[in-house]
Amino acid sequence: MKKFIVMSLLTLLSVSFANAEAIPGQSAPNFAAKDANGKPHALTDAKGKWLVLEWFNKDCPYVKKHYGSNNMQNLQKTYTGKGVIWYTVVSSAKGKQGHLTPAEALKVTAENKSAASALLIDEDGKIGKAYGAKTTPHMFVIDPNGMVVYAGGIDNNDSADPKTIASAKNYVSAALDQAMAGQKVETASARPYGCSVKY
Amino acid sequence: MRRLLLLLGFIVTSLAAQISFAAESIQDQHIQIQLLAPLSFAANSETVVGLRFQPDPHWHVYWKNPGDSGAAPKFTFTAQNAEVGPILWPYPTRMPVAHLTNLGYDGETAYLFKVKTSNAESLEVSIALEWLVCQEECVPGFGEIKFTRPIVGSLSIYPEAIKKKLEFYEARTSLPGRDSPFNLEIKTPADGSFRVFVKSKETLPEQIDLFPADPEYVLPAQPQVEKHSDSVEFIFQKSNVAKAPDKFEFLLVADGKAYEFTGLSLGPKPTATTTATESASIGLLAVLLGSALLGGILLNLMPCVFPVISIKAVSLLKNTDHRARKKDGVLYTAGVLTTFAALGAAFLILRQLGSAVGWGFQLQSPVIVFALIVLFWLMALNFIGVFDFGTKIMNTSGQLNWHSSFGAGILSVFIAAPCTGPFMGTALGATATLPSAQAMLVFVFLGLGLALPYLAITFSDSLARKMPKPGAWMETLKEILAFPLFATVLWLLWVLGQQAGTQGWFYSAAALLGISFALWLGQRKRAVWKVIAWIFAIAMIVHAGQKIQTAEVDPSSQQQSEWTAYSDEKLQAALLENHAVFVDFTAAWCITCQVNKKAVLETDAAVEIFKTKNILRMRADWTKQDPHITQALARLGRNSVPVYVFYAGNNSEPQILPQILTLDMIRNLIPLKEEK
Repeated sequence: MKKFIVMSLLTLLSVSFANAEAIPGQSAPNFAAKDANGKPHALTDAKGKWLVLEWFNKDCPYVKKHYGSNNMQNLQKTYTGKGVIWYTVVSSAKGKQGHLTPAEALKVTAENKSAASALLIDEDGKIGKAYGAKTTPHMFVIDPNGMVVYAGGIDNNDSADPKTIASAKNYVSAALDQAMAGQKVETASARPYGCSVKY
Repeated sequence: MRRLLLLLGFIVTSLAAQISFAAESIQDQHIQIQLLAPLSFAANSETVVGLRFQPDPHWHVYWKNPGDSGAAPKFTFTAQNAEVGPILWPYPTRMPVAHLTNLGYDGETAYLFKVKTSNAESLEVSIALEWLVCQEECVPGFGEIKFTRPIVGSLSIYPEAIKKKLEFYEARTSLPGRDSPFNLEIKTPADGSFRVFVKSKETLPEQIDLFPADPEYVLPAQPQVEKHSDSVEFIFQKSNVAKAPDKFEFLLVADGKAYEFTGLSLGPKPTATTTATESASIGLLAVLLGSALLGGILLNLMPCVFPVISIKAVSLLKNTDHRARKKDGVLYTAGVLTTFAALGAAFLILRQLGSAVGWGFQLQSPVIVFALIVLFWLMALNFIGVFDFGTKIMNTSGQLNWHSSFGAGILSVFIAAPCTGPFMGTALGATATLPSAQAMLVFVFLGLGLALPYLAITFSDSLARKMPKPGAWMETLKEILAFPLFATVLWLLWVLGQQAGTQGWFYSAAALLGISFALWLGQRKRAVWKVIAWIFAIAMIVHAGQKIQTAEVDPSSQQQSEWTAYSDEKLQAALLENHAVFVDFTAAWCITCQVNKKAVLETDAAVEIFKTKNILRMRADWTKQDPHITQALARLGRNSVPVYVFYAGNNSEPQILPQILTLDMIRNLIPLKEEK
């Protein structure tokens, strides 16, 4: 009988909730996907490291704003240089704007001179929906324990004009700098802006 | 006369200089933009000027809160001899785009602004523009509109067509809310919903809509609208990600007029004792407690609980000491009540933290389902006599054992979890909105109901006397009752298969095999075998548990059916088209749901009825935790499944059907618009 009580209590304790959204302060939804080279990646692989997820659609003007100006590549370079893992995620469904086959993905990555760790292909939208990704770009920062520390837009200026980047407040770099220094993240969420993710 | 001459002069010169007009309109991809301004401005006046945006058919531009995606146009003014701005926004419409909702204008609109003149001779205004025009795909654009006008006399002079356009759009810009008969109140009950109540000093208009101006917290998706006698209630979805702002802003649109309400606050923060919305009246509370008690009693008859309870009761017969028997009953009841209170407390704490949970939430995690499978498997093997657990599990020796009686109470609550029976739905649903104390009372009454039959047997000598005499038949009964337990295992394996796919199913079955082997191994005499058996069993369980946690449903095995997967957007869209909708809130682990499905909903007769009445069938599957479904349930005042809801058509009240369905109930559904 005692064993049953122990077991029952364990059952009660292990109540865990799977979220359908990545929420700052809560654990990030797990994911598993293959990159453009066919190599599998998962949230669990990034355990112990800082992780950035960036939603991408090569034809979206707001993505172009940050790639055309090299803003995104510079962020990728800066933080992967500090040991951060950076995944660019493409959730566009087949036939929708921004959909990439692995071969196309490799080409786009090379053209953009992307410095991301990998480009994950999520054509069934599983990762996008698990994270509640609404727009491209939509950014998530996850700490080494798998907790979300930032979710939202890349900065505070939803203009499509690259000239506005210089004066905008970049929430992703702010969140990474603060969190990696062990400080509290000042802005843990902001409105994501851009094109809708084409599920 | 002088004014007229000047005006004439202006018209002639501007006609001659096409360039100045070119700067007053823009033609770009998928959009045309055109200035709407008077030919001359009155001195020392305030005049409304506009920029008309004409996107291509089916393309749209945005309101100041663009919604889930997109962007509002941006205006940067530079002016000479005039003060310009800010932008006056005509009220928007909701535009569902794929899974998102945008706020903006499907087709032509005009963004207006005021121009304040001095008594200078002329004014010059230039507006740097950035806009975004979208269908599903978006094209941003940049440009400049520039105009120069004379300042003359006391009246601004307009071409008729432009004046009409400006008046049309000005009527759609917002007035201050305090100048309207309306009054807005925000309520955030503990079920996590965000509700705005609109009241009016006059009669409430038929058409009334509310748009959040805040782009982050209150979601732009179509809110659920409920009409009450003295108010209209808007139930909005809110962001799980963003923090609630201190002040809210809404735009109310009624009878073609828009009113802006700013600085609305959430009202006093709920405290621990008054968390929930409304406390029930004594009468309602009595009904709720009554159905909780009755529901608890009926739980005893459910296939997952019945074997355990009956063996416990039978074992009692062996004990002739009626004081010991009473003690046993009290301890059992204490076990049940403690566990229910603990579950209730856990539920209330989660509710306080804002988690959207509901009864049965224990079964939404595949790991817990797996734990229950192991538990039922062990009980079944024990019943059939494969092994003894040192002291026998269900105390069949008849001797009173403190741990055993209390523990049996705890156990019965856990095994009862999958079986939400009749009468429990209403009571459990109420726990989502009742104040903590009353909600706890409902949980305690459920427990009391569950414990009551057993308690009655232990206390009443006459009942005990009616029970058959102890004998060898008891062992036989126990063995027979192992089979409902085996059946429960089978069923839970099926549930797990829905949650974690064939992989999850395979690993848990493998774990059962491993456990059975370990049990056999543990019966060897030497202690070393027992140790090995323990290690083996634990390793099997832990390994399977880990595999199940990460297992995914195989997409190929997901069933194709005529039922549409539920989403708020799809429901709203169907209702807007005046389509009747039947929603089945269900879960694989809910027995009642499965029975209704097989006995009624998926019979040929029911399918025929749904088809002829042209009722759209939607299924909200709560097998796994899904906050959207939890919220949808909360809006219906429920937090457990099954729930069956019928919407007759646009603007019709949801009609909630009983938890036990019959074919007649389906036959009696009447859509508003019956298609011939």
